[in-house]
Amino acid sequence: MNSAILQTKDLAIGYRIRHRGPRKRKKGLRHFSRVVAGNLSLGLNEGELVCLLGPNGSGKSTLMRTLAGVQKPIDGEVMLNGARLERMSPKEVAKKMSLVLTDRVVTGNLSVYALVALGRYPYTGWTGTLSRDDEEIVRQAIETAGIRRFVARHISDLSDGERQKVMIARALAQDTPVIMLDEPTAHLDLPNRIEVMQLLKRLAREQQKAVVMSTHELDLALQAADGIWLMNFSTAEASNASADIVTGMPEALVLDGRLEKAFHRNGFEFDRHSGSFRIHHEPTATIGLFGDGTETYWTKRALERLGYRVVSDGTVSRRVELSGANGSKCWRYFDGETSETEEYTDICAVVERLRRWRAK
Amino acid sequence: MSVEEAAFGVHSHPWPRLAPRLPVLVILFGFVAFFFMLDLVLGSVRIPFQSVLSILAGQGSDNVAWEKIVSYIRLPKAVTAVLAGAALAVSGLQMQTLFRNPLAGPSVLGISAGASLGVAMVMLASGSAANAFAIRQLGLGGSWLIVIASSLGAALVLLVVLAIAVRIRDNVVLLIVGIMVGNITVSLISIWQYFSEPEQIQDYLIWTFGSLGGVLGGQLWVLGTVVGAGILISFAASKSLNVMLLGENYARSLGMSTFSVRVTVIAATSLLAGSVTGFCGPIGFIGIAVPHLTRSILNTSDHRFLMPSSCLVGAILMLVCDIIAQMPGSQTTLPINAVTALIGSPVVIWVIMKNRNLKSSFS
Repeated sequence: MNSAILQTKDLAIGYRIRHRGPRKRKKGLRHFSRVVAGNLSLGLNEGELVCLLGPNGSGKSTLMRTLAGVQKPIDGEVMLNGARLERMSPKEVAKKMSLVLTDRVVTGNLSVYALVALGRYPYTGWTGTLSRDDEEIVRQAIETAGIRRFVARHISDLSDGERQKVMIARALAQDTPVIMLDEPTAHLDLPNRIEVMQLLKRLAREQQKAVVMSTHELDLALQAADGIWLMNFSTAEASNASADIVTGMPEALVLDGRLEKAFHRNGFEFDRHSGSFRIHHEPTATIGLFGDGTETYWTKRALERLGYRVVSDGTVSRRVELSGANGSKCWRYFDGETSETEEYTDICAVVERLRRWRAK
Repeated sequence: MSVEEAAFGVHSHPWPRLAPRLPVLVILFGFVAFFFMLDLVLGSVRIPFQSVLSILAGQGSDNVAWEKIVSYIRLPKAVTAVLAGAALAVSGLQMQTLFRNPLAGPSVLGISAGASLGVAMVMLASGSAANAFAIRQLGLGGSWLIVIASSLGAALVLLVVLAIAVRIRDNVVLLIVGIMVGNITVSLISIWQYFSEPEQIQDYLIWTFGSLGGVLGGQLWVLGTVVGAGILISFAASKSLNVMLLGENYARSLGMSTFSVRVTVIAATSLLAGSVTGFCGPIGFIGIAVPHLTRSILNTSDHRFLMPSSCLVGAILMLVCDIIAQMPGSQTTLPINAVTALIGSPVVIWVIMKNRNLKSSFS
């Protein structure tokens, strides 16, 4: 833990509510605080990509703001590079930690290059003129983020995905060991989400950056993150209120079932095997399914969606059997009550047949 | 090298240059010099270019009347036009960036109204007629008083607007608030007018028409010093204003003190808009139109470049307005405020039409 570049000990985050007490009291101002989450002991190492997960309203943004020094902690300390964050000047913090926010930069006439160059603000003199070294760092940041193609374009002409990469390049130009990103994948389509994740992963790996991002993308986080910070675990569990956060390696969290518990809700469940969420379909009938390969897996998914409980033993009267080589599968539907057998060469046809039967 | 780079060649995406483009500044400066001379040559009496040059060089002229006209009327007026144009343009540019609003400007957000209130207060306190002639009678000390009063009035309104801006982050709401605060200021002035003598009201009305001709001798030095100081402060804020383009949160994350930038911009804008309004009356449209014009001509958002360019474009526009206001060849002059609005409004409309989406094209 001592090597962590960003760490907290028994941190409590939340809001101070300024309350004007009765006039007779000598101290007119009384402070009330609303603790969003407490007992947060976190550590972020260089070269690590950490994803901060949690349901809406669990305090993800509050934690991010507190870690960034925008908001003061209610209790505890944030240590950045061994120094107390509260004691550091904004300029010092700016050289250690860069942010990518959800704020949309709408300014027209601002070219991508000029925007990324603004990342050098903490290092330049009062005129803001870039030195040769500054310029080199800006160019490297642009190359790393893969946005060389549109250096000359205006920020208002970019797509959401492109803009996000530009903002990451700006954070890179700030040349800080820690990068914090607030929901960088929000509003992006899947290819862009993956590209952004890959970029962040590469930064952690190759440039030894410590990267924290808040996100709702559990599946992407499980695949890419070195560590997961899961907020508001205790409220979901309502038993152990010692800490409001669960941290660990994603795979470990899956295996010991903590992830499953945290996200347990009615209507959907976390599938430990695939590492993804599944909508829970209340089964009203049972069907047997036999076969192997990808087709069988997706047939099972289709049957579950229709409301079947899918089993693989021979005692069930109705069953579907898959046969044939991969790519030229044949679906055989067998109805035990009428002893009828139907054959299909297409998943649509067999599922449609069963859907009609269910509708009766 | 990526596939794309290989296909298009590395040099298809050259690195842009951020350094200010000096040739553009030189060309703009040339225009300022041209219109400055034109302003001296044209007027109710047309004075030949050669004579103007020799008068400027201190060699005098055969025609004593020409010498007097150039030295005591046209030269101070042209210098005032340059100062006023530069000051209003720079204050408009800063406010548009600070408020992140394309419609911000000294006249829109009530800054000019605040300065007017300051002027009105001084005139009320001194008990003399509320006009430019009264300012002249107050002499040099009086002109400092006017500058301080109008700057304080401008700062007061700007502080109120900014205090509300801290609470309300919505630009449209802020704009409405600014206009309302301006209205309150105007209504205070009109209450004062209601209880004043008709002559005073008439004098005040003449002041509101605006005039570049009332600043003479020592007053010109006062105006020049204050505007110079304001422009220097503005230039120093260029780097921070660039970062403000990213929004306050990003600016803070880059280690910038948003508070000190606000104070700097308030100070500079109050000095610039306040002093010009004090001496020349509330001149509208230059402050809002010139930054848009400059941005669309130069296609940049770098304040280190926009600041000097806005100064020059503001000076050019003000000189052109003054030349038109003089109605060359005729004995009449138009009020400068009417001319700036007449020129400024179409410019604003043209910029909006050209960029379609003002919100995305601003600053």
